[in-house]
Amino acid sequence: MEQNMKNSSVKVADTLILGGGIAGLEAALNLANTGHQVVIVEKDLSIGGRMIHLSKVFPTLDCSACITTPKVSEASRHPGIHIQVNTGAKKLAFDAKGHWHVHVQTEPRFVNESLCTGCQDCERACPVVVKDEYQYNLVGRKVAYIPFSIASPRIAAIDIENCILCGACEKACVPGAIDFSQEPVQTEWIVKSVIIASGFTLFDPDQIERYGGGKFKNVVTAMQMERQLVPTRPFNTVLRPGDGKIPDKVAYVLCAGSRDGTVGNPICSQICCMYSIKQAQLILGALPMADVTVYYLHIRSFGKGFDEFYQQAKKMDVSFIKGKIGKISELENGDLMLRYEDIASGKIKEAKHDMVVLSVGILANRDIEKISGLENLELDPFHYLKQRQEMSNPFKTNLPGIFMAGTASGPMDIPDSILSAGAVSAMVTKYNKGFVESIINSLTISSWNE
Amino acid sequence: MAGKTIEIIKTKRKVPEALRQRHKEYLGLRKKIREALADGEATIPQISQKTGIPADQVVFLVMTLRKYDEIVAGDMDDMDEYYYYKLSEK
Ligand SMILES: Cc1cc2nc3c(=O)[nH]c(=O)nc-3n(C[C@H](O)[C@H](O)[C@H](O)COP(=O)(O)OP(=O)(O)OC[C@H]3O[C@@H](n4cnc5c(N)ncnc54)[C@H](O)[C@@H]3O)c2cc1C
Ligand code: SF4
Ligand code: SF4
Repeated sequence: MEQNMKNSSVKVADTLILGGGIAGLEAALNLANTGHQVVIVEKDLSIGGRMIHLSKVFPTLDCSACITTPKVSEASRHPGIHIQVNTGAKKLAFDAKGHWHVHVQTEPRFVNESLCTGCQDCERACPVVVKDEYQYNLVGRKVAYIPFSIASPRIAAIDIENCILCGACEKACVPGAIDFSQEPVQTEWIVKSVIIASGFTLFDPDQIERYGGGKFKNVVTAMQMERQLVPTRPFNTVLRPGDGKIPDKVAYVLCAGSRDGTVGNPICSQICCMYSIKQAQLILGALPMADVTVYYLHIRSFGKGFDEFYQQAKKMDVSFIKGKIGKISELENGDLMLRYEDIASGKIKEAKHDMVVLSVGILANRDIEKISGLENLELDPFHYLKQRQEMSNPFKTNLPGIFMAGTASGPMDIPDSILSAGAVSAMVTKYNKGFVESIINSLTISSWNE
Repeated sequence: MAGKTIEIIKTKRKVPEALRQRHKEYLGLRKKIREALADGEATIPQISQKTGIPADQVVFLVMTLRKYDEIVAGDMDDMDEYYYYKLSEK
């Protein structure tokens, strides 16, 4: 069923997935491969989530983009999957027949998707430069731009907030794809089930004054280092953003914004130890003469192959110092002095590094709380979706027909996100199959939670 | 539609003055960097010294111009500390 009006339509599917990261994509593919009609609603300009921007993955050091892109392209071409990027859910409503009505809004990208060839002529013609959020602000991008080289869809967009309306992009676009007349488009999806796979956000280390509060130019976040290590890296090698120097002595500060009640995040982010150990090895691959030191409180290498990966880093001469960083100070030449408590000796020590990477923690994505109709969705004390039946039904929320996958339910790595997506697909398959309106009609919140 | 729809949006949006100023500033900085490289290649600290632009801003600008093929990276300096950058021949 499909009803269309100008800029709004009503459509029907079996399941709507909020978020096209690895968890959402995996769930979509599992469901579509078993005959369900799935829609992915993704707020970004591309699907792929955080994983598409990572360098390699621990502990196998497989290329992250090489694992993500086949799934991205399979989902994009799958006849059972409809993808809406640049789209957010505004309102959810549960009807008397047990369907969810999900009202979503697609923002204009000012480019006609069916005409754009991804040639980047508009990008070359655009004179305006702003910070490139996909390179974590290390480099600039144009205001008419392809989000990143492996974006899906690989279609240009106009960042209208920063556009000076000069019209150069429109003149340069031979297929005539630029369309400044676009308006937001509303879609109401009527579905049996919803999976929330909206992922996580990153802790902002600028809040930590003792690490420089964002003022020290050669203190970067792990995500910025991740970008420096990918093939499409912003500097084409690893460099200090403060002065372009090739770093010689790199320090990692673990638990930056995790396990720290003073910054409001007392829990472990589960992934930072391992991604830091991964990056330390990759830095040594890129800069064989560099020294890399990891300052840690505990190394949590609990997964399959993780401890061996940690031992491998030690064998590669990565130094591990059990030490609590009290303060980072910036020296005149941009080097950083780390003052720390050396836990082995109980002494306060200082060490000089020329670049510091903060292994920032992950936080719940609180976007979901802004969606009308989800006010009664239960969250845990850290604002992740509450797993009410952690042992028996871990991916069910408290609302009937609403499930969760991936890091929307708590910090986890890629294998666990994929596993959760597998589990939730099985639950949703059963739920959609048993979706007989008379049964759903009598489904109350208490029976769903039994 | 080509070349026309910009007029439609101009009736709906105004460009904030701050945005125009920021763009002007960027054009000025880009010009300075290109001028600093007009006589030959230079490292980031050398460009910073020639132009008076802080080194972190020079990194951002040079890397952006490199991304859009206006600048290319050359060899490392004798101390293996910095790369040289030069204007691309395009
Ligand atoms: C620096 C760093 C390095 C890492 N390295 C590794 C590694 O080597 N190995 C490993 O296993 N894990 C690693 N991880 C963890 C990995 O990134 C996560 O486990 C994985 O990305 C989780 O996938 P997800 O789908 O749950 O969430 P995400 O990747 O966050 O995807 C969520 C998606 O939902 C979209 N979204 C958000 N809000 C909305 C909304 N309101 N409406 C619609 N869409 C929305 C987002 O745009 C995004 O596309 C690393 C993480 C970081 C930060
Ligand atoms: S909008 Fe036009 S110029 Fe820009 S990438 Fe698409 S086809 Fe090329
Ligand atoms: S109209 Fe906007 S997006 Fe297009 S070239 Fe000019 S500044 Fe760039």
